[in-house]
Amino acid sequence: MTPRDAFLARIGAEVRRARPAGPATPAPRPARPAEAAEAIRRQMAERWPAAVRRFEEEFGRVAGVFHRVRRREEVAGVILGIARAQGTRDLVAWSADAIGVALEAELAAAGLGLTVAGPDDAEGRRRHREAAARAGVGVTGADIVLAETGTLVLVSGAGRPRATSLLPPTHVAVFDPSQVVESLEQVGVLLEALHAGASGPASITFVTGPSRTADIELTLTRGVHGPREVHAVLVEEP
Amino acid sequence: MTGRGAEPAFAARAAAALGDRHLQEALGIATTKFIGLRRESFAGFPEGDVLRDRARAIKEATLQRLDEHLGRLADRVEERGGHVHWAATADEAREIILRLCRDRGVRMAVKSKSMATEEIELNEALEGAGVTPVETDLGEYIIQLAHEKPSHIIAPAIHKTKGQVAALISEVARARLDADAEVLTAAARGLLREKFLEADLGITGANFAVAETGTVVLVTNEGNGRMVTSLPRVHVALMGIDKVIPSLSDLVVFLAILARSATGQKLSVYTTLVRGPRAAGELDGPDEFHLVLMDNGRSRQIAGPLREALYCLRCGACLNVCPVYRQIGGHAYGHTYPGPIGILLTAMLRGTHAVRDLAHASSLCGACKDVCPVRIDIPRMLVELREQVDREGAAPRGERMAFRVGGLLLRSPAAWRALARAGRWVQRPFVERGRLKRLPLVLGRWTASRDLPPVAARTFRERWKELRRS
Repeated sequence: MTPRDAFLARIGAEVRRARPAGPATPAPRPARPAEAAEAIRRQMAERWPAAVRRFEEEFGRVAGVFHRVRRREEVAGVILGIARAQGTRDLVAWSADAIGVALEAELAAAGLGLTVAGPDDAEGRRRHREAAARAGVGVTGADIVLAETGTLVLVSGAGRPRATSLLPPTHVAVFDPSQVVESLEQVGVLLEALHAGASGPASITFVTGPSRTADIELTLTRGVHGPREVHAVLVEEP
Repeated sequence: MTGRGAEPAFAARAAAALGDRHLQEALGIATTKFIGLRRESFAGFPEGDVLRDRARAIKEATLQRLDEHLGRLADRVEERGGHVHWAATADEAREIILRLCRDRGVRMAVKSKSMATEEIELNEALEGAGVTPVETDLGEYIIQLAHEKPSHIIAPAIHKTKGQVAALISEVARARLDADAEVLTAAARGLLREKFLEADLGITGANFAVAETGTVVLVTNEGNGRMVTSLPRVHVALMGIDKVIPSLSDLVVFLAILARSATGQKLSVYTTLVRGPRAAGELDGPDEFHLVLMDNGRSRQIAGPLREALYCLRCGACLNVCPVYRQIGGHAYGHTYPGPIGILLTAMLRGTHAVRDLAHASSLCGACKDVCPVRIDIPRMLVELREQVDREGAAPRGERMAFRVGGLLLRSPAAWRALARAGRWVQRPFVERGRLKRLPLVLGRWTASRDLPPVAARTFRERWKELRRS
């Protein structure tokens, strides 16, 4: 018997010996997650303006800063403003594909240095980590934007490093209406769809406002390990 | 600490806590604040009650197939290139983690807050093996610097003043820092940032583990959990077997109520889902991922009297509302898990003898059950635990005798009436301003800390008779 077999056999024996204690129902799961996710996207294509209003309210409540622009071309301007307010010249970003906007040229023209996530060789990893540790602003996309809690959901992968939204003191997430949902329940369906089959990312992060702690005499303090500021930029017409 | 030796120790610890004015004040402020935040959060969340029932039903359903879910979790983690370790006891869990460190030449490990690692006293074991553990949750960092233990499940350093924190962090920073939360937090950020970037290995617990996808879920506010799972080359997650849930659809049910119960937030700032090591194409995330599944007494309760305690999410809500916890704080309990649920978890992990005294550290008021996000019937299990403690003969002889005599009196109406009549006479010398304030002999232990109402001039039965006559 392997350690695993012995371990599970012991638990199995207890499970069979036990008497059930009350109602036992796991949460219902979508039978066809991809279709269920598509149905949510279709609903939200109509309902997103109200959901964005709710997001704006909830995101503000957790000390997030909300921005709204009409077109993709305006995103660089918003980021430039944030970088200037922070007094930083160093930025890191997810790949242009992952954010949906190419920022490099415009930020370079304004005299800012932007390190974009590149290939995953040893040199690329070292360069990414150093840039993220140095940067004042990290720019990412947001794969799901959850209105009822003011939450940004970020999926890791190629061109989407985890540290971009973690090490710099300011995090900016760019999204468009197609990413907005209303409820955690909907997020559950989207997550199921994302993991259908054996697929799915190595890491997903829900971000609900800036990093915070109340560990010293319950005094609320921001930016303890993660970012002190979180901005969300909605691009209305992708 | 076992058997009879434990009782005076608990009484002494509780007495010390009651005499610590600073602790009393800190506990009062913290628990009152948490209660208010939780209440507000659920007041604006009408679906909360339904979600709590659903969460409870999910936990029960999971327990009914726990072996299958754990097997599936392990399979999925391995499919993603992670390693799974099976620890039947705390010793085995420690040994597994020490071996991982030893084989990789690890010198420093960063940790995010984890009660499971507290349970196995991992820090002491790591230090003994030449590995420096660095706690990175600010509260845990503070108590690590102070060489203390957490006093609250989610707010481990509520018993420290900012003056004490300033002294601790100033020493590490080699600078005199003001006793100001902003200043101290910024200093800790700088000190710990270096550690995150240097550490060879990251250790976390798990708030949940999703069997269907092989996902470990960490819920934090500071972001240290993300650091620990993103930056070091190796990530080791230690979890009790009670943390597994079936699917991501279940996860969102728990997320909707966990932070609300703990801190009154809709969601904590970070909910981090990790599956195995870094995937192809990723620039960060660990090269190696290890999941340690720990039993340590839990499986005995699947068919045991403490089964419901296996539902626990470790939110800490029952601590804040407990009139005993609010008075004595976490340290007085003397074990890893304090508060009402902590008594049950201690009995689960260390056996009934470890809670011989603690089983009575509850007024059975039921506030814990009311706030529990999965409605664990803590008072019922505490009563059963007392019964068991008594059956095992752990209670002192005098106490057992007193209950036997009390039982006889309560069962005989005639004896009870006679006792009431006698009581009216016997109590006379002890009644002061309508209360019994100082009783003699062993009864004096009760009146040392509270008054008793005297036996009434007329009993209910006597009044009832009069009323019926008139």
